[in-house]
Amino acid sequence: MTSDAAVQAVLDGLNAVGIPFMVVGSFSSNIYGLARSTQDVDIVVQLQSGQIQQLANVLAVELQLDPQPRFETVTMTTYFVLHTREGKFRIELFVLSDDPHDETRFARRVQGMVAGRPVWVPTAEDVIITKVRWYGTDRRNKDWDDVRNVIAVQQNRLDWDYIHRWCDLHGSREHLDAIRKSLESTNM
Amino acid sequence: MHKSASLTNDGIRELSQAIYRDKISRARRASFEEKFLAGPQLFDYACGIMCAGIRMQNPGATDEEVDRILKVRLELQRRLEKAR
Repeated sequence: MTSDAAVQAVLDGLNAVGIPFMVVGSFSSNIYGLARSTQDVDIVVQLQSGQIQQLANVLAVELQLDPQPRFETVTMTTYFVLHTREGKFRIELFVLSDDPHDETRFARRVQGMVAGRPVWVPTAEDVIITKVRWYGTDRRNKDWDDVRNVIAVQQNRLDWDYIHRWCDLHGSREHLDAIRKSLESTNM
Repeated sequence: MHKSASLTNDGIRELSQAIYRDKISRARRASFEEKFLAGPQLFDYACGIMCAGIRMQNPGATDEEVDRILKVRLELQRRLEKAR
């Protein structure tokens, strides 16, 4: 099973069970910035009781779902792991947390279409806010690059007041400003 | 004697910025679906290249052995990304 087929199978499963979701992480920065390879897909889900088992049943043929929830210490969220049977590509389903920005970006998510199926992603502003926040925590170069690329591609279409408000709340404004400054030399 | 054009630091910077601007321009033209599927498609392409590298270093390896080494490398990549 190819990795893009695995992603589409999961989207079908989520839609079939009726689980509200949004695809985050590198998939969302690929949408608004420059595409890069990714071996994981991170999806935020709003789960009702029993839905994870329903999803496991729907996906049983193509994908393996570990029904044991795990805990992510950086984002303090619960998540479930799915992987293709050959084990190379991984899908992580993060349960929507009560973090104010997590809730807000979920409420503001936007719909796109992939091969005829609906898929939801955060807004470009929320991708920037989340990745700048992660950069402030983990200092991962790829988060810096993703934010820089999203800003460069989106250019004048961003709501900077909204971005500034959240970055100020998260204490990550200095990182955002540094990333924007790094774009000045490219004339973007 | 053939003399290649010398690349100054300014020239390299200009070339790098031009390439970046071209990438940005192409990204603006791509559809939602193309961009959404690009991540896993690039991943499968990268796996193909990694398998070729593993076969080159392990000429007698079976497909199962190549697959096992690939998984070890992918797990290493995940750990490196999370440890940074």
